Amino acid sequence: MKGRRFLLACVLLLAQALCLSDRVLGADVGGFVEAAYGLKLGDERAEKNAYNLSELRVQLKGLYLPEALDAVSGEVAWKGEALIDGYEGDTSFYFRELNLSFTPFEFMDLKVGRQILTWGTGDLLFVNDLFPKDYVSFFTGRDDEYLKLPSDALRLWVFTEYADLDLVVIPSFTPNESVRGKRLSFYDGLKGRITGREDGRTFVEPKNTAENMEFALRVRRTLRSSELELYFFRGFYKEPRGILDSDREEYFYPRLNVYGASLRGPLLGGIGSIEVGFYDSREDTKGRNGNIENSSVKYLAGYTRELTGDFSVGVQYLVEEMLLYDRYRDSLSAGTPARDEFRHLVTLRLTRLFLSQTLKMELFTFYSPSDRDVYMRPSISYDVTDALGVTAGANIFSGSHDHTEFGQLEGNDNLYLRARYSF
Amino acid sequence: MKKRSVLYGLVLIVCGVLVPLQALALSADEIVNKANLAYYYAGSDGAAKVRMTITDTRGRKRLRELTMLRYDVEDGGRQKFYVYFHRPADVEGMVYMVWKNPERDDDRWLYIPAIDLVKRVSQRDKRSSFAGSNFTYEDVSGRLPADDTHELIGEETLDGRETYVLKNIPRDKDLVEFSFYKTWIDKENFLPLKGEYYDKAGRLARIITVEKIENVQGIPTVVKARAKAVEGGETVIEFMDVRYNVGLKERIFSERYLRRPPRRWIR
Repeated sequence: MKGRRFLLACVLLLAQALCLSDRVLGADVGGFVEAAYGLKLGDERAEKNAYNLSELRVQLKGLYLPEALDAVSGEVAWKGEALIDGYEGDTSFYFRELNLSFTPFEFMDLKVGRQILTWGTGDLLFVNDLFPKDYVSFFTGRDDEYLKLPSDALRLWVFTEYADLDLVVIPSFTPNESVRGKRLSFYDGLKGRITGREDGRTFVEPKNTAENMEFALRVRRTLRSSELELYFFRGFYKEPRGILDSDREEYFYPRLNVYGASLRGPLLGGIGSIEVGFYDSREDTKGRNGNIENSSVKYLAGYTRELTGDFSVGVQYLVEEMLLYDRYRDSLSAGTPARDEFRHLVTLRLTRLFLSQTLKMELFTFYSPSDRDVYMRPSISYDVTDALGVTAGANIFSGSHDHTEFGQLEGNDNLYLRARYSF
Repeated sequence: MKKRSVLYGLVLIVCGVLVPLQALALSADEIVNKANLAYYYAGSDGAAKVRMTITDTRGRKRLRELTMLRYDVEDGGRQKFYVYFHRPADVEGMVYMVWKNPERDDDRWLYIPAIDLVKRVSQRDKRSSFAGSNFTYEDVSGRLPADDTHELIGEETLDGRETYVLKNIPRDKDLVEFSFYKTWIDKENFLPLKGEYYDKAGRLARIITVEKIENVQGIPTVVKARAKAVEGGETVIEFMDVRYNVGLKERIFSERYLRRPPRRWIR
């Protein structure tokens, strides 16, 4: 049904494109076909296929400028995808983007519909960006683009002399795509061990009510060459950080408010940034409920610099401080491994370009000295022609403990190969 | 009364002699400044569609298509650039924005539409390749005249045009890949017609030649140029639909328009 609707939409849009070709930006109707294969390596501690990815993806995108909306610079953007997924054994059709942008006033922009939302200063680390993410795609070798899940939202910008306001309203909650034991195994806190396909957890999402609408606000001001940003978020944790019923393995997404700020600008020949976010766990403000995530503060500092024209380096340091830690320790049930009060995480990105920028080698490493775990993402990509690009890479996890963020993924190492033809 | 006319006469004679002399004897610095203004600051703003055809050492061709918008905050000084990529298809919609600051490092942003990401980019090496071509970032957005010392080494006729020949030596050798470069500058319109870049060993490494100049709104404009690496590979750059003084607003060069490209200019 969903597929038929998508096909119908495609046909309509194509017909529209043909009839109104001068209203559809020629160069902007395009897309790609991509084949991806991801091979599992290492000792699997959960039942899984020998591969993580075996899929063919088609993306079609376009932009349409309706004449009726010329006065407000209206444009309709779409990005539809068909995914033939050999792992799941099914084919799905969906829109990654389908939205209308317009400028009702000189000082205001609006974007309504399905869209990808990103903000904050982190590089693959997120403090004030509480928009949905897909870590399964990220850990199994899909393009970085798929780390971001779309949101059905209304986004409003107001531009003033002093600051720019950026407000996002998300009427219906979209959670992260979390590791559920299918392609990747994980540490099940209730079972106290690594779990794979036998995962029996259910995640209860907040109901679609007016009260459960999510809001994200960003205020941005430029100070000479630097950008100062303030953030506010009201909604829910994007991971199920609350236990509803431990016997039935029911989890839920607790209410969350986040207050944050960031500063980014030139520093010592590179770009430096700092960002902080206070995570206010609304349903456990006192930290006494062992079933709900405690409030925390995240501190992030980053620095990127080009060493030569073809070689750049980026480092980040993230500290997550759990608040009311003593109460967390007190509320912990016996035998459950305790998290640290402070989690330290360092990342390093090395990027090197060769052959007139057609060959790219990259290594992104996450390392936590406090959790004693590592996640490495080496990759190499080559543009065979302007249209055809191939990428090979790996996701490698290692850790001293089963319960840490990357440690739980040990045994899920994988290699992947992707070929993409863009048009 | 008589005295005064004699004085005027003298002044006139002196001026009459000095003015043309001065015009003839432009210093190397003056020529470079005029060339910088003629090539990189034509009009108070500009819009053009740019096509680059890159041929590598093995003869394979790659195509880059972009729209470039330019706004001059001050003539010969601060400038803002907005570069929207149309091709190749996998980077379509990507925007690269530069605020050029002569007195400090440039500010640069990159917008990646697939993930709605506005990224600050550091770029210390302005001599690196622009979008994989044989042109450098500085070739595209201009090199500060003050970064080199200039010497007028002769005058030549190039394809029927009278030119000044200048030798330019970098003040800070560590920041650049060349030991010096020579430029041929048209005496009449001050457009650079040719450039030769010599590597650290003093060997000719790269040649830029202007292949076509057109008159756009009364402004002589380079519409086709070629950069050739002596060891192989070249890039032809073509400027299409060049327009000057189109009334670009400075506010287009901001985060707002990275996310929402001004379709009036970008088609």
